[in-house]
Amino acid sequence: MRCASGIEARQVDELAINIDLIQVGGRLTGDAMKAVIAYGDGYSVCDNCRKPNRLDYISKPPIAEFHKDVAAWLNMDAVRTVPGARRGFQAVAHTYVQKGDPVLLTSLSHYTEFLAVEGAGGISCEIPANNQHMVTSDAAAFKIEEVKKQFGRAPVLAFIGHVDYQYGNMHDVKSIAKVCHQYDIPVLYNGAYTVGILPVNGKDLGVDFVVGSGHKSMAAPAPSGILATTTERAAEVFRTTAIIGDVTQRKFGIKEPEMMGCTLMGVTLIGMMASFPQVKERVKHFNCELENNRIVVDGFLVVEGTKIQSEMPRKHTLTRADTIGSFDKVAESHKKWGYFFSGALEEKGVTSVIPGATKVWKFNTYGMTKKQAVYLAETFTEIARKNGLAVKE
Amino acid sequence: MTFQALFTLTDLRVILRETAPQHELDDKQREQAQLLLENLERQVSSLKQELLK
Repeated sequence: MRCASGIEARQVDELAINIDLIQVGGRLTGDAMKAVIAYGDGYSVCDNCRKPNRLDYISKPPIAEFHKDVAAWLNMDAVRTVPGARRGFQAVAHTYVQKGDPVLLTSLSHYTEFLAVEGAGGISCEIPANNQHMVTSDAAAFKIEEVKKQFGRAPVLAFIGHVDYQYGNMHDVKSIAKVCHQYDIPVLYNGAYTVGILPVNGKDLGVDFVVGSGHKSMAAPAPSGILATTTERAAEVFRTTAIIGDVTQRKFGIKEPEMMGCTLMGVTLIGMMASFPQVKERVKHFNCELENNRIVVDGFLVVEGTKIQSEMPRKHTLTRADTIGSFDKVAESHKKWGYFFSGALEEKGVTSVIPGATKVWKFNTYGMTKKQAVYLAETFTEIARKNGLAVKE
Repeated sequence: MTFQALFTLTDLRVILRETAPQHELDDKQREQAQLLLENLERQVSSLKQELLK
């Protein structure tokens, strides 16, 4: 079935259990799907935009209230919606980083953080993760000292991810932020995998910025996200325009340069808003998500030769699997090579394992029901048995 | 009425997602689906009456 010429209707999540690490937290709630139907037109949220003509002041639909609610929910002072977490990184980097400035990242940072630093002319200085793939406050302190020796000054900004995209490991942001603040380095908390998934308290973490991804973790359409900050930092990153046209003498009110004026003006924002009540509720039940993840991981590990490379016990549902000693051995002699594994999963109604991947790959169990978690665990063992792998009872 | 029918279909879509891939509905989900389908029939019927009168 097609939506339009050449565009197939997408039914991935209606037909299969989706374990794609970047997709599961961004799947829309029913309410968001309904809002998307009603607000699909371009500038649909702008029907009642009145002076001072800025998105976050619109009260119908309740966009202004949404901004306040998100700030309170994250225990921060001010929030703006942005077209993806990456645009939050960019706004902060552009505000604080000058050409040649050192900026702290980590060896597990997402590429968009690097691009944000590069775009502002900064130089990346990665805090290395240890051999357990964890970024620690000790490593942060050591790196800052190294940077000081090399550059003659401390980094001007730090990007610290709470849960990284490579292992799904949870890093001690609070301790790292404390170290950074001892050097007066503002800290950006990358919550792409946490805001909307588990409780996040910005003030308790002691960070200056919280960035979240709507399409990755807040059940919202892409591209969407949030940038939250403190009152002090809001005056800097959300400063208002001062430019005046030299011919027309035009001024541009309270538009914010880092936001390029208004940000999400239609379906992205309304989708994020519509999901928000359920998102607020679901973060309170993250333990249920971990329990489902445990069911899947336990079912997975009974296949002899399989390993989990992420920290154990799991603190997040994004999980890195190592099947070099199991499914990859099957692939060596299987007529479909490595494609047998993703093919077998597809046949069982499980989707999003990269075709051909049988060595190291990632999955995310977020959002599935317990029944689906049990089914997924059984599917792994069934495929293992069918292909002659030993399964522990 | 158009939106009501679309929203009802959306609620059915959510059930499909929650029960993928086998779509074996438990008693509660079956009851919910039954109700939604009945509503949908009513809503489509009203649309017919309004648009084609």
